Amino acid sequence: MRSLPVLLLAAVAIGLFAFPAFVESPYALHVMILLFLAVVQGEAWNVLGGYTGQYSVGHAAWFGVGAYTTMMLMQYEHVAPWWGVWPALALAVVAALVVGSITFRLRGPYFVLASIAVAEIFRLVALNWKDVTNGAEGILTSDLPPLVVGGHTITDFVSKVPFYYAGLVLAFITIAVNWGVQHSKLGYYFQAIREDQDAAHSLGIPLTFYKNVALAISAFFTAWSGAFYALYVGFIDPGTVLTTEVSVQFVLICIIGGIGTIGGPVVGALVLVPLSEALRANLLSDLVFKLRLVDESSRTGLFLKDNLAHAHALIYGILVVIVILFMPEGVLGWVRGGLARRRRGAAGGAAEGAAS
Amino acid sequence: MQVFLQSVVSGVLVGGVYALIGIGLTLIFGVMRVINFAHGELLMVGMYLTYYVFTLLGIDPFVSIVIVIPVMFLFGVLLQRVLIQRVLDALPQNQILLTIGLGLILSNTVMLVFTSDYKILSTSYSSGSVMLGGISVSQPLFVSFFITAVITGALYLFLLETDVGQAIRATAQDREAAQLMGVNVRRMGLLAFGLGSALAGTAGALVSPTYYIFPQVGSAFTLKAFVIVVLGGMGSIIGATLGGIIIGTVESLAASYVSSGLKELFVYVLFLFVLLVKPSGLLGKSRM
Repeated sequence: MRSLPVLLLAAVAIGLFAFPAFVESPYALHVMILLFLAVVQGEAWNVLGGYTGQYSVGHAAWFGVGAYTTMMLMQYEHVAPWWGVWPALALAVVAALVVGSITFRLRGPYFVLASIAVAEIFRLVALNWKDVTNGAEGILTSDLPPLVVGGHTITDFVSKVPFYYAGLVLAFITIAVNWGVQHSKLGYYFQAIREDQDAAHSLGIPLTFYKNVALAISAFFTAWSGAFYALYVGFIDPGTVLTTEVSVQFVLICIIGGIGTIGGPVVGALVLVPLSEALRANLLSDLVFKLRLVDESSRTGLFLKDNLAHAHALIYGILVVIVILFMPEGVLGWVRGGLARRRRGAAGGAAEGAAS
Repeated sequence: MQVFLQSVVSGVLVGGVYALIGIGLTLIFGVMRVINFAHGELLMVGMYLTYYVFTLLGIDPFVSIVIVIPVMFLFGVLLQRVLIQRVLDALPQNQILLTIGLGLILSNTVMLVFTSDYKILSTSYSSGSVMLGGISVSQPLFVSFFITAVITGALYLFLLETDVGQAIRATAQDREAAQLMGVNVRRMGLLAFGLGSALAGTAGALVSPTYYIFPQVGSAFTLKAFVIVVLGGMGSIIGATLGGIIIGTVESLAASYVSSGLKELFVYVLFLFVLLVKPSGLLGKSRM
């Protein structure tokens, strides 16, 4: 019974690795890649926000540093992205540590505000430092160079399959890192800080140091997801990678799934990505017409058809409000709580039966 | 010198409107300890309200505040009743996320209904100017500053002199003690959020002749409102007034002497600096 989750996990992993061999639809691969990206972003934020309890709403800064550095190295210096990503990650971590050692003196809402302000500073710099970042025009990449190892061309990045595997591996690495954090001494330090900073401090845990460690891990993987996003989409500008909306989305993935758990961000990604894709592809409005809730040719029908595709941010907002009001532990915590209640109910019933 | 004076004067005038936004935010924070991340979106709703009152009914934006204030007050009371009240005892981060979600809902609903096109409310005096001791001042700014001063004055009187105002201040000072003294703190919460959104809506009405009106305009104002409030001291109304005027002046000076694209950068750097040096703000008590 105890090996069941492990077996299940192995089956999912094998299934995911075999997926591109059976599914050729580029759209299906695209959705899966977005899903992996969301998992990486959520798990990365989770290290700082979930385990350590530092609600950063400015992670777009690290996402942007990863995306911009990798893209600029590739476009201007012709550094292949699989080399360029390392200086990008290093830069993000260094920048995060500088920012962290300043802002971690702040607590609660003040920290949230400071993190937003930092990300806005990054955005304004990217927008106005036109010689380096190309300003509001952003950076558009030509094709990626082919990956050649020992004379063999491994992939030329024309199809989506190499991105699929890169995303999958990255997602597994971040999940493994979260697992490692949760099951190590580091994780206990983080959670002690989350539960009660002053108590943790009085037990001899240096607060700023461990918050910075959490931030470094978090920024590292957020920047990595940024680099991956930039290479996959092939275009970045301050409006798509450095806005507060991007930061909010990272938080949402965790909140909706369940904060401070390994499975939470995965569940959050599984809810958010298909939902926003379904909206974008007009699946939701089609469903409304099929169920005959609204006539397709009526004014409301035309309105829905035209606008529902842009409504994913609205749906995000509604989701957050519902989650905060009705399931503050996230979808995963809500399901777990429900299961626990049922089990307790069943156990109580059995005990009563035995007593009588 | 002329440029300097000019920027300071227009900075102070813009700062008056900023103060109005900040006072609303600080009032909500003071009474309920909730940071309203949807504050800029309330301002945006006020802008749209003003725009449509102007285009459909032909009512001047500065006159339209007599409509905007009650409508936004009721809207705020409704939001408080339906959403905010439920999370008053929740973790601060959950309160923050709830208001972020509320902001997303407001801006995207407006986008769905009115599209994301930029709207311009142009009045006969939008680009007019008045001379003030040798300095020319934008006419809409001048009028809006005057209205701001009147509203702020009225608010001070209300909070200092009336029983309800004293009850609001008592709740802000100590929620439990106020409750023990027979203050209905739930009603004070409704009142505070109603007043806060009425002030944000009024600010929206006042800036509508000089700003582009679009659904995403709110987020910039939300952040600015935080800067103002933190600068003055969270919960302090005089602090928010002062903070608004300082931020307006800093922006205006940065725009004339450095570049208008970078004026917000100065504001955020100043914000971080204040957070680090004196997180309780200029006039706030330390709540760290």
